[in-house]
Amino acid sequence: MTLMPPPPGRAEIIDWLAGLGERPPGAERIDSMELAWLVHQVEQRYGVELPDDQLERIATVDDAVAVLAEVLTSHV
Amino acid sequence: MTMDGAVVVPGISQGAQWVDEVLLAGPANDICFRLTQPADGTSVPIDRAKLRRLVRDRQSELAEAGLRPGGAAALRLPPSMAFVTHLLAVWRSGGQAILLDHRLTEYEVRRAIERLVPQVVVEPERPIPAGLRTFFEVDTAVASYSGHPAGTTHAVVQLSSGSTGPSKVIGRTAEDLVEEVLRYTRIDGVPLRGERLILLPSMVHVLGLVGGLLYGLHAGVELVPPARLTGDAIVQAIASGRTPATVLGVPFHIGLLASVQRPPNLPQFKRMTTGGELVPASVSQSFEIKYGVPLANMYGMTEVGVIGTDLAGVHRPAIRPAPGIEVREVDGELHVRRPESPYLGLSDPARWSDGWLHTRDAGAVDPTTGLVTIRGRLDSQVSVGGLKVDLTEVEYTLGTLRGVEAAVVVFDGSITAYVQLRERRDRDHLEADLAQRLAAYKRPRTLHILDQLPRTTTGKLVRDLTVLRKAAP
Repeated sequence: MTLMPPPPGRAEIIDWLAGLGERPPGAERIDSMELAWLVHQVEQRYGVELPDDQLERIATVDDAVAVLAEVLTSHV
Repeated sequence: MTMDGAVVVPGISQGAQWVDEVLLAGPANDICFRLTQPADGTSVPIDRAKLRRLVRDRQSELAEAGLRPGGAAALRLPPSMAFVTHLLAVWRSGGQAILLDHRLTEYEVRRAIERLVPQVVVEPERPIPAGLRTFFEVDTAVASYSGHPAGTTHAVVQLSSGSTGPSKVIGRTAEDLVEEVLRYTRIDGVPLRGERLILLPSMVHVLGLVGGLLYGLHAGVELVPPARLTGDAIVQAIASGRTPATVLGVPFHIGLLASVQRPPNLPQFKRMTTGGELVPASVSQSFEIKYGVPLANMYGMTEVGVIGTDLAGVHRPAIRPAPGIEVREVDGELHVRRPESPYLGLSDPARWSDGWLHTRDAGAVDPTTGLVTIRGRLDSQVSVGGLKVDLTEVEYTLGTLRGVEAAVVVFDGSITAYVQLRERRDRDHLEADLAQRLAAYKRPRTLHILDQLPRTTTGKLVRDLTVLRKAAP
């Protein structure tokens, strides 16, 4: 069995989002395209599909940290 | 072949039977759509016979709600069978379809309805759930509005973010749409009958609407929206059939596919075609190495549809004008021949004059090869995930909010606003007010409140990024 990496922290999520393009420094809000990118990154790195009802809870980087911690931990 | 009930409207040079002849004709068992059930991931085919039946049903509902030949129906629907069937039903009823992106705010929709006086408005019965769906299951509510006929004989009316503040209104006739569909058939490399089109852009906008939906129906190409907007879901959609598959998208989707870590072998993947801005060479190379298929590029506008293509990916960054399209360069700006202005209620010679549409795109036409190179915008329009946003509209709308003295909106990697207030207001309230008036994709990512906006000695607002950045706290 492959061990799943720990859920991403804030810095890692900001780093993933930067892969999509330049972000304003300190930008906290996550727009719809960034959300799609984030979900794609989670699928690629963790092999986990985030359900739509969880996505509705993600509007900021902090929300993403919290939701991913919850979802990815429950998959371990 | 003509189905029963297609209406011919006096004054529209091409009667509504064009829907039957150009879009709905063909064997009854042709698969037009292959949809994925969100609940269990199973695939649901929709054939031509079912599509025709659904369209006829919608026609009856629209007539009951008050849509008459020559009247307009506003469709505020996300990509869905509800959108497809209502659109075809409106046209088959001899009506005009006003397409409103479902992401527009109530305020934007109300303004559009006041301006365009549709007879009926079709909306989702319940709010659209958030998530990454590319195609939705929607129950609709049809509301009756006015008894007015449509202001023009255009088959489709679309709003485009406007440089003069409110949205521009763009109309296209049935003849023009048919001409574009036929234009696609003459371009080498488009998907052919029996093949599949993995459809990523919204079919409420021109690329997905004509290049995807209308061309697909005309040519007998199966339209396959992926279950979700992720790299894996796009790959699954390609792998879900054996017939050749073309992916139609915008540059963001190339990034998704390029970063799929271990895609399966996809011998049926034929090509990826994107419209919108050019992608960096590193992304296109990584895509082509990973999938071994051409990355094709298209150039078009809501006003015209497809203008040029490079479907083999050999002319990048240039494109070849599509058959029947004439492009010229005047003082560094690209013009496209259009016999009539596409704009409703607007007579601006800077946008259309003497049979030529001024694209506001900077570019050049090679006199020897005829290839066209696009070098960016000459105005304040930017592209956000393939959707066009005019910064002037954002600036204008900010200026209408309570307490705002002046605003400057620029593109600094993302939409950025600098605002000067005449009364004390906090950023959260200002952003909440703006959210009532502008769709999310048009809103600034960053909003700076300044005591004084930088101005020139003559009092004009300064738009220079360096100066604005320095002025922000």
